[in-house]
Amino acid sequence: MIELRSLTKTVRSGADDLTILSDVSASIPGGQFVAITGASGSGKSTLLGLIAGLDAPSSGDIFVDGARITAMSEDELAEMRAKKIGFVFQSFHLIPSLTAYENILIPMEILGAPNAGDRAKYLLETVDLASRGHHYPAELSGGEQQRVAIARAFANSPKFLLADEPTGNLDSRNGQHIFELMQNLHSQNNVTLVLVTHDLNLAEQAQRQITLVDGRVSRDTEATR
Amino acid sequence: MKFILSLTGREIRSSWRRLLFFFLCIALGVGSVVALRSLIQNLTRAVGTDARALMTADFEISTTNDFAPEDLAKIEMVMGASKIVEAQNETISAAVMARPADAENLRVKFVELKGIEPPFPLVGTFSLSDGRPFDFPLLDGNGAVVARILIEGLGIDVGDQIKIGEGTFTIRGVLDEEPGGSSGFRLGPRVFVEKKAVDSAGLTRSARVRRRILYRTSDNPTQLVTELRTALKGSTVQVGSYREQQENLSEQFVRTENYLALSGLLILVLGGLGVWNVARAFVEQKRKTIAVLKCLGSSSAKILTVYGLQIFVLGLVGSLFGVILAQLGLYVTQWRFADVLPQKMTYDVGLSVGVQGVVLGVVISLLFSALPLLQIQTIKPKLLLRDENNTSVGRLDRKKWFAGLLIVAALLAIAVWQAGSLKVGAIFLVGLSITSSMLYAAAALVTSLLRRVRGVGSFTLRQSINSLYRPGNQTRIILLAVGLGAFVVLATHLTQSNIIREFDFTRNSKLPSLFFVDIQKGQIDELTAMISNRVGEVPQVIPAVRARIAFVNAEPFNYQDREVRREQGRIGREFAVTYREKLEENESILAGEWWNGARADEPQVSVEDAMAKTLKVSPGDSVTFDISGRMITARVANIRKLDLRNTRSAFIFVFRPGTLETAPQTFAASVLKHTAPTDRQRLQRDLLEKFPNVQIFDVDDILTSVKRLIENFVLAITFVGGFVMLSGILILIGSIALTKSQRIYENAVLKTLGARRAMLGKILIAEYGFVGLLAGIIGTIFAIGMSYAVSRFVMNIEWQFDPIVALVGVAITTAIVVVVGLAASFDVLFRKPLGTLRGS
Repeated sequence: MIELRSLTKTVRSGADDLTILSDVSASIPGGQFVAITGASGSGKSTLLGLIAGLDAPSSGDIFVDGARITAMSEDELAEMRAKKIGFVFQSFHLIPSLTAYENILIPMEILGAPNAGDRAKYLLETVDLASRGHHYPAELSGGEQQRVAIARAFANSPKFLLADEPTGNLDSRNGQHIFELMQNLHSQNNVTLVLVTHDLNLAEQAQRQITLVDGRVSRDTEATR
Repeated sequence: MKFILSLTGREIRSSWRRLLFFFLCIALGVGSVVALRSLIQNLTRAVGTDARALMTADFEISTTNDFAPEDLAKIEMVMGASKIVEAQNETISAAVMARPADAENLRVKFVELKGIEPPFPLVGTFSLSDGRPFDFPLLDGNGAVVARILIEGLGIDVGDQIKIGEGTFTIRGVLDEEPGGSSGFRLGPRVFVEKKAVDSAGLTRSARVRRRILYRTSDNPTQLVTELRTALKGSTVQVGSYREQQENLSEQFVRTENYLALSGLLILVLGGLGVWNVARAFVEQKRKTIAVLKCLGSSSAKILTVYGLQIFVLGLVGSLFGVILAQLGLYVTQWRFADVLPQKMTYDVGLSVGVQGVVLGVVISLLFSALPLLQIQTIKPKLLLRDENNTSVGRLDRKKWFAGLLIVAALLAIAVWQAGSLKVGAIFLVGLSITSSMLYAAAALVTSLLRRVRGVGSFTLRQSINSLYRPGNQTRIILLAVGLGAFVVLATHLTQSNIIREFDFTRNSKLPSLFFVDIQKGQIDELTAMISNRVGEVPQVIPAVRARIAFVNAEPFNYQDREVRREQGRIGREFAVTYREKLEENESILAGEWWNGARADEPQVSVEDAMAKTLKVSPGDSVTFDISGRMITARVANIRKLDLRNTRSAFIFVFRPGTLETAPQTFAASVLKHTAPTDRQRLQRDLLEKFPNVQIFDVDDILTSVKRLIENFVLAITFVGGFVMLSGILILIGSIALTKSQRIYENAVLKTLGARRAMLGKILIAEYGFVGLLAGIIGTIFAIGMSYAVSRFVMNIEWQFDPIVALVGVAITTAIVVVVGLAASFDVLFRKPLGTLRGS
């Protein structure tokens, strides 16, 4: 369960304050697939970052799996992410100095998980990259890099998968492949999937759509199917 | 822990190339520290470790006169009461001229003659070069055992005869290593003869001899030495034990070792600056990786440990490589300098020095990368979503202040450890901090002034100035680092040139080519006529009276006092004093007045200023001289400064005429005209045949060896200076690496907009030209100030500005920065813009 209570995020922009999010409240039950949509600059990515504890809100509270993450220290947030959250970025953000296999290994090693190597291999197979594990990110295509990023996000079997425009840097074929992969993993593992996208076709496939306009929730609809 | 270790391993695997400069900075610094310390420690071992063997006894009593009967009685009384004396002997030594008896052989050479009697040596061993032990019958009937270099120098062999004074000696043996070692400055090779033969050769009548009574004791002789000094108080007889000699020797070597270690530390600290730069660049490049790791749930502490461990490993490997570099450096030293260093010298890095170097290298690596590594804490994972300018990164928070203070304290501890003194260590660190701050302030000032002309000039010029202000620019850091490198090298060079100018008496235009001493009054006319005939110049003749200082203001020297004993060599020796009416051209009066004309009622003396400081005398004080056993008390009339760079003779004490004319005296003569070596040799040879008591200094010949010594000295300093410059270059490369990604991006944009490679190259040259010029100017200005301060206030020597060194310094710094900058950024010019733009 993710609970957002009256979230506001303001940043300094030159001499002025710029409000990115204003009084955002929402509740996302466990196992739900939510798409956050909105125009560029509407605050989608900021909201996702706040949920992951990558940034702190100016006011308001966030509860993830019952824990008030807005009261956590940097290190507590890091531990929470390691155990509960998988994050997929638009620009993949793989560690360039590590191979695909090692990139997947990292979150498990951070937690000291047993059999990390086997699981990394399994995840590589899951994303159809069993033969590319020894390749460095620079040697992989965009689609392949994103598949590694998804495998990495699932490494510690998180309860929550947060994805920030994961198909934004990919062509439609690769984008579709990635989306299906995430959907499968979501349904197979019963994780809560929060997907930030401006692709309405993808958003429509979610169980729920939250639309942001100028940092406010303008629409929050659940799919009827 | 597994995560930390495995990630550290992976990071090293992928980043070692980028950290190569880090590695080199540390290796160079550690190499310098280890090489310099090893060198001086090996030298200490080779020349001065066993003072007992150097003295060939446990203690000695010595004088340059005959022992006075009352002094002998006092010695007898103290020694008679002592139960620890096991054996004693007497020696007599003198620096005299030796020449082959063969009239065809024209060579002459100064030798250090030592007359000995059994048992000799009291301590140590004495064997000949063919392995035979020395035996006294070898010296019977005017036999001599001589150093090998005399055989080579005179072109003679065992069995041949040499003449010394009025005596003729047959060479019966050759030695490579004499008892008493071969340390210190020597006028010539050693010749051993029987003690009584020194008398019979007439040398004790004329030459400057030193008589010694040496003792071997069964126990610590310190108490006995103290008793002897008390008994002999007021006499000019000197008493010294090997323990004191050992103490002084060790102290001198330890001091030299620590000062050299500080030079090494300076290079290591410069290397540390390089480390700091590289670590900054590294953390900057790793920002995204760090953010990803944080995003994946790693704590700051874990990431800090990973990179700290990486620095540790690199510091360790770099330090080990530094030790290898030091060993190579020592081999180079052996190859280049073995002929001027002691034969017994070894050229290995000692284990303890090596370990010390590695510890230093690792500690400096960690200290200097601590602040950049602390930046890891301020890198937020949110930059993965939006890479804003992370304004908090550069800010000094409480943690950084604390870390900064800790680093300064650790550096102070290292400096104190290396200098072996809290004071020197603190001065080193404070000096370095002040210099760095001033250089940084100057860099800030200069860059802000340059900013005002940003809009001026061609596109290339404008763009190159703009580059100095690009976001995250390293201009001030580069100016600081390179300026510091230039400062150190130039300050060393400028100071060195002043020292050499001061001490290099080879530049003295009034330096005689031949110098004759111990001339008897009756020999003057014939000798000067002979010299004038052969050289074509009438020699200048000066009277010289041998005198020792007995009292200053009626007080004898207290040789029980260690400080006084340390000066014993300067104040306790025999001086040649003269008397004259006029002040010489190269002399000036600092205090009091020079006498004019009339003879005074009381003896008056003029004292050279350095000696006046040592004796703590000023005009009006009195100095009592022992002149052949007669005490003459003279009033100090004035303090005189001698310009040693323009002097024909240099007398420490000059008497007012009217006192010394009746004292026993000899005369010294000198000629300025330079003649061919064979002519000089023939003249010496003929003079010695006629006047065997006269000592001749072939100054031109001596100068050749002194010049070689100075050249070696300059080369050694340049070698150390070169290491400093190399550290500066590494810092420069590290700084360039810091801004390289921005440079690549800018060039890609400019290329897209139509800039050609040649134009980009010109911008690059102009940018580095500016940086190099500014760094060179800043470093040179500071170096001039430093060399002035060191010359005038520390070394107390004249200071002269050398505009050529300064200009060449600025030019070389600029050239180095341009070349290194171009080499480090050259590939930027050849990158395809599309790849760069897509990548960013």
